[in-house]
Amino acid sequence: MKLERKLAMRNLLRNRQRSLLTSIMIVATVSLMILFQGLSDGGHRAMVDIGIKMGLGHVLVYQQGYNDDPSLEHLLVDAAATGQQLQQSVPELTHMVRRLHLNGLIQAGANGVPITLAGVDPGLEVQVSRIADRKSMTAGQTLAELPRERSGNGLPGIVIGEQLARNLEVGLGDRVTVSVKPKGSSDLSREAFLVTGIFKTGMQELDAFWAELDIADAQRLARLGQEVSVLALYLDDVEKVGPVAARLSSQLPAGKYEVLRWDQVAPELHSAVMLDAAGMYLLMVIVFVVVAAAILNTILISVMKRTREFGVMLALGASPALVVRVVFWEALFLALFCIALGGALGYAGHYHFATEGLNFREVFGTTLEAGGVLLPDRFFSFIYPGKLAFSLLFVLLLTLLVTIYPAIRASRLAPVEATRHG
Amino acid sequence: MARPEAGKTAVLDAPGNASSTKKATTMANTSVIRLEQVGKVFEQKKQRFQALKQIDLTVESSEFVVIAGPSGSGKTTLLNLIGLLDQPSSGKLFFNGRDLSQCSSTELAQLRRDQIGFVFQAYNLMPVLTALENTEMVMEFRGMAADKRRAAARKTLTALGLGELMDRYPDQLSGGQQQRVAVARAVAGEPMLVIADEPTANLDSRTAESLMDLMSQLNREHGITFIFSSHDPRVISRAKRVISLCDGSIVSPVSQAVEFSHAV
Repeated sequence: MKLERKLAMRNLLRNRQRSLLTSIMIVATVSLMILFQGLSDGGHRAMVDIGIKMGLGHVLVYQQGYNDDPSLEHLLVDAAATGQQLQQSVPELTHMVRRLHLNGLIQAGANGVPITLAGVDPGLEVQVSRIADRKSMTAGQTLAELPRERSGNGLPGIVIGEQLARNLEVGLGDRVTVSVKPKGSSDLSREAFLVTGIFKTGMQELDAFWAELDIADAQRLARLGQEVSVLALYLDDVEKVGPVAARLSSQLPAGKYEVLRWDQVAPELHSAVMLDAAGMYLLMVIVFVVVAAAILNTILISVMKRTREFGVMLALGASPALVVRVVFWEALFLALFCIALGGALGYAGHYHFATEGLNFREVFGTTLEAGGVLLPDRFFSFIYPGKLAFSLLFVLLLTLLVTIYPAIRASRLAPVEATRHG
Repeated sequence: MARPEAGKTAVLDAPGNASSTKKATTMANTSVIRLEQVGKVFEQKKQRFQALKQIDLTVESSEFVVIAGPSGSGKTTLLNLIGLLDQPSSGKLFFNGRDLSQCSSTELAQLRRDQIGFVFQAYNLMPVLTALENTEMVMEFRGMAADKRRAAARKTLTALGLGELMDRYPDQLSGGQQQRVAVARAVAGEPMLVIADEPTANLDSRTAESLMDLMSQLNREHGITFIFSSHDPRVISRAKRVISLCDGSIVSPVSQAVEFSHAV
């Protein structure tokens, strides 16, 4: 082993207490950084995942102009052909659903509430939507669970939010009337439905103002053919959203379609994720500054306590560069050891929460809401390898950065004074 | 402390280095150090202190010189200048015929590394290195190949009676043994000059005597120039030449040890 590495390693081992204290600090920082990063990113993924499953999608294809004026005048007319084209050109696609969104009025007796009606393909929607999920149902059945043959009274089924059911004072099996303004007519189109299911998502705007029905019933109610409002694409990885959206924008005929990412359709959710991530980064910066100061202090004291040793080296003809290298190797050994240990501990913690999940309700006694999305009670830690590598490299660079001053100070000692030092 | 056998000191002819005897011969009558009107002034809190005044001094190769004088006479300051650890405030300093007034600190460090060995009063061994590694250290600074420097360090330590202790750390050695390691570190790389600042000050009289025997032997048999400081009459009496300092001036430029010891 070269002299500078030997000196560095043995000095770390000689001052075990000091090395141990510094190590504990760096190890704790690294492991907590990984743990928080995993939980934070896991939480963000959960937020995005839930948001996407609340009637959204990773990538959404609209008729040009729909987002500026979401009326029946801007519907996708050739949804079936477009859908087929997308199925073939997007290998990342796992699911694609078509939806028809209508603004209408739902009435039961004397109670009436303006709502959004979502016409969906029940069999597909249940695979991608939390609203249509069995777990969200507080009563009755999902649309997918309804028998194909209608019940005795012949009314089509409708699934409504729990708060909406309360406001309408209706329950399972009750009859409601839905009115919408059909395309190209000033008269209202009105039809009776049977409440076959009641869901609860935790989102006020869904639970109080949302109802789902079979897309064929919705198209009939609005006096439409096969038109739909949107084709919602679900991909195998949320990270692919950007490239896929960009690719589709260039592939689909310009001026006819509008391809939007989830974060463009739900900017409040995206902002909530970004804000939370920014808060996390700020917290990490504060932690890093504190740790950097502590490391600087430790290495500076270490150098000052060895003034005589460095003075002797310089007196005997060691170059200042060699003294700098000794101090740097010491910091590097310390940092590498701590990053390895802290990384292992942090990863173990991440692995636990990645497999078991973190139960927010148990820990905080309540469910959190962010960006209008109610977070799940349990979410799972997730680590982006590139981000983790960058963070670990950052800790290493930070340690080396704060070593510059003590190293230069040691290399510039005057041998005469230094060899006399206590 | 066991005195090394005379035959063993021959191992200082390290592999790859020129013969010490040959070196001693070729260096004979060549000035290693020459000081011309050298003065040194220290300034602290607007106070000026003249530590050395117009020193003229020449030390030839293979000399065994002691700088004697009471505390505060300027011995250490003079040794620091001769050892190129400090620079004079006035006058000129020549090392091996080279004027050092224009030398950068890097050049001075290289000269110290390649040409000068140091023995400090407080031994100043690196606590995390073994006796062998301490002895190797300066040669490693020079970039000498590992096998060569290790062989030279082993031979030197064996010659100085530390063959059995070379794997020990400084805190596992007595004061006398540590100072022997310091001497080994100073001479293993066959420097032109060895500077020793009160090398016996922390040793008992018997160990001090033994160390003086050792340095004297290295000077006699290998022609290494020694300049050391002391105010101990028994140590001073071992020198071939005594330079007596008082208040920063040389009061007895050249005097034989015997004469000095008589005077004391």
